[in-house]
Amino acid sequence: MSKFPLSLIAGAITAGLAALTGPAAAEPIAITNAEIHMAGPADNPQVIRNGTVIVNGGRIVAVGANVSPPSNDFRVIDAGGMPVTPGLFAAASALGIVEIGAVSSTNDRSADGDFPLSAALNAADALNTNSAVIPINAAGGVTRAYVTPDPGGKLFGGCGMVIDLSGSDDPVVEPCIAQMVAMGNAGARRSGDTRTGAIAMLRYYLSEAQRYAEQPEDYRYMTNVSDLTIPDLEALGPYVRGEKPMLVEVESAADIRKLLSLKQEFGLELVLISAREAWMVADELALADVPVILNPMANLPSDFETIGATLESAARLHEAGVTIAFYDNDIGYTHNLRALTQLAGNAVANGLPHEAGIAAITAGPAEIWGLDGALGTIQSGKMADLVIWDGDPLEVTSRPSTVIINGEEISRDTRQSALARRYLDLTRGEMPPAYRGQ
Amino acid sequence: MIQTVMGRNALRLAVLVMAGLLVTACGGDNADGEDSDEEARQMLSNPFPSTYEPYPSQPTLITGATIYTGTGELIEDGVIFMRDGRIELVGAADEVDPPRGDIVTIDAEGRFVTPGIIDNHSHLGVYPSPSVRSTSDGNEATSPNTAEVWAEHSVWPQDPGFTRALAGGITSLQILPGSANLFGGRSVSLKNVPSRTVQGMKFPDAPYGMKMACGENPKRVYASSGPSTRMGNMAGYRAAWIRAAEYKDKWDEYLENPAENDAPTRDLQLETLAGALAGEILVHQHCYRADEMANIIDLSKEFGYHVAAFHHVVEGYKVADLMAENDICASVWADWWGFKLEAYDAVPENAALIHAQDGGCTIIHSDSDIGIQRLNQEAAKAMADGNNLGLDIAPEEAMAWITANPAKSMGILDQTGTLEAGKMADVVVWSADPFSVYAQADHVWIDGALMYDRSDDAISPRTDFEIGQLDNETTGGAGQ
Repeated sequence: MSKFPLSLIAGAITAGLAALTGPAAAEPIAITNAEIHMAGPADNPQVIRNGTVIVNGGRIVAVGANVSPPSNDFRVIDAGGMPVTPGLFAAASALGIVEIGAVSSTNDRSADGDFPLSAALNAADALNTNSAVIPINAAGGVTRAYVTPDPGGKLFGGCGMVIDLSGSDDPVVEPCIAQMVAMGNAGARRSGDTRTGAIAMLRYYLSEAQRYAEQPEDYRYMTNVSDLTIPDLEALGPYVRGEKPMLVEVESAADIRKLLSLKQEFGLELVLISAREAWMVADELALADVPVILNPMANLPSDFETIGATLESAARLHEAGVTIAFYDNDIGYTHNLRALTQLAGNAVANGLPHEAGIAAITAGPAEIWGLDGALGTIQSGKMADLVIWDGDPLEVTSRPSTVIINGEEISRDTRQSALARRYLDLTRGEMPPAYRGQ
Repeated sequence: MIQTVMGRNALRLAVLVMAGLLVTACGGDNADGEDSDEEARQMLSNPFPSTYEPYPSQPTLITGATIYTGTGELIEDGVIFMRDGRIELVGAADEVDPPRGDIVTIDAEGRFVTPGIIDNHSHLGVYPSPSVRSTSDGNEATSPNTAEVWAEHSVWPQDPGFTRALAGGITSLQILPGSANLFGGRSVSLKNVPSRTVQGMKFPDAPYGMKMACGENPKRVYASSGPSTRMGNMAGYRAAWIRAAEYKDKWDEYLENPAENDAPTRDLQLETLAGALAGEILVHQHCYRADEMANIIDLSKEFGYHVAAFHHVVEGYKVADLMAENDICASVWADWWGFKLEAYDAVPENAALIHAQDGGCTIIHSDSDIGIQRLNQEAAKAMADGNNLGLDIAPEEAMAWITANPAKSMGILDQTGTLEAGKMADVVVWSADPFSVYAQADHVWIDGALMYDRSDDAISPRTDFEIGQLDNETTGGAGQ
């Protein structure tokens, strides 16, 4: 089940095919003696005990309990009975567009309030493929991330992309997937400090974008429509045609219902993010096929739009049939993506089935971002993003022992591990610490 | 009576002098001069006294549990007995003789018991939920030195965050002012009991703390008026300590001979600083960078005070030896990093590397209304990362990071923080090993009173803010 029209999925996969082909020269790998999770479609995930995963040419070529490597050319990794999951997929982050949050020269998440462009911005233009944050998260088992800009002072933030965390110079799997939109308190703040303003402006911009798409010549002598420039209006075209999803930050049940009626009115595709009261309208979301990206640990009434926040959000949404994925809306948003497993573990501790917990950080995000044909589960034909764990993947004490992206094992040495090793021994040496770990 | 207390510290002396003046003024009218004297002392030395009293409790025996004592021990098939708010007995089933009779017995076979969890870095109540401008009371960011403010005067006891923390096993916590200022003001230590007033939560007889901050925050907040640099920060601390030392001397001098001298004028800011110099108020300093912590240690020696704990300490692993040598605890996150430049060199092994030093004192703190709900998980992550580096830290050792060590830093270790006979019966029963992500706090006792029971909605507090909102069946309450 996907929230996108089938034709769009096919289109997305075709368009992304170049980026989704693995390195042909990669060493073929056989992971044996593994407890394989998500070995089946997302809506019917299987666990295979004592199973084998065969990887060749960057892809999974066989999975099962009775599978063996076709030749001696395969490097065999004995998982020792430990769990293997698909690589973790961060459903929302600023990976590669923020190095340090409070250092503005390294933070390209959003434009200043008075900057003219918004919807036309594209996260891919800011991607720093050499960010030290990428390998640190990869070492934690994260292999793919959706990277989105944020609305600065505007309702729209521009479009985000999916990247791989392999360390490649060209990690963009699919650019410009979804338009970021602020609604609820976040939208009101940007619209005269009232929800009436946010809804009125959104409706106005969507109508204008529709009209622009039909009759661009009407806008020939205009530079902007209210706060949107003409390039912004043009960028909104795929969204008002329902070809691409809008990623909408929204919280309250009431605001979500209003969005659902706008979806109806304009034929929008929606993905909700944060959405702490989404569980209260779970049936309506399931019916409208609208997925939710949430922080399952956000259980406080941090404002009047989140009075219904609860640790059971994930379990209730899942129960109703809503596709879910997890993210950390706070300190772990970009730098601590390894804690996706902790988010899922807590959701499981509060009623979500274990495999659904794993799905919410693997198959769920892949489906939401239209890449479920290629990623998110351990099935033959999919990209070989795999993690071998030293315990239950959702346990806070478990860590990856092997991380494979696009069929290749990555190094788990990072700037962090180099620093820890450098200062492991604080006794005065022959030379200062700066000479250690070259 | 004044003589016996004289010289202990400027803060208390200042207060006693005020009491003396007050007695002089009204002594003639009062037949019972001593009582009045005592009352006046109390009023002035402790003008916002704790009114907390333990809630009624039943003698309770927990059997069959795996017990983390907080002292570094693990007891299999353990027994713990509490009565009248205190722990009476802790030990292995085959080594102790638990009482029988009219007591509540809880079979905790397969479950785990820990001391009540303690967070020494929280802003609950001062930055409460809902987080709106009218509730933002955590930073008096109007001057780099606001040692005169007291966090307890901002604490909103109706913050729903307290109830969520209770469901995470938190029984005591230190509420600190924010880090905008060099001197942020006094902290307050609370028992995590719902109350109409902050006085009803105050940990009885806990010493005050004082918040100081290094680095980026003060220099950012005061960029235009100063301090705008790290050297400006250091100059700001030193100038304040010089004034505080003078103030303390003035009072000490006056008290040598109160009959002959006029009492100096009270100054709230200097009173707190003088209290810190006298060692009565514990200094808690927000500091990220290794080099800055080394500077602060020298600063504390220059003026003769002690830093109880550095907080955040993202680069603590670079100076773990210095902190251990100077008996300074390090209150850290398990893995937060990268949100500002001084948090860029974080390593997930930080807590474990600090612990591994001889005399190292690691504390896992939250600084977060979400993180405080699962300090056990944060400790588990930090322990696992240390063990992956080969540091070989047992869970019973790591348990001290969220119990005994924070209690030590808050000056309440003689009362709580470990499961030992005679201590406050602050106890948590967990559904599973608390170092597992699936563990939930089943029961939480504070001073022997059952304040949270995961299986009983009637023993799950709901704040005034949340009662009657939406549907009480599905929202509000500690376990929300």
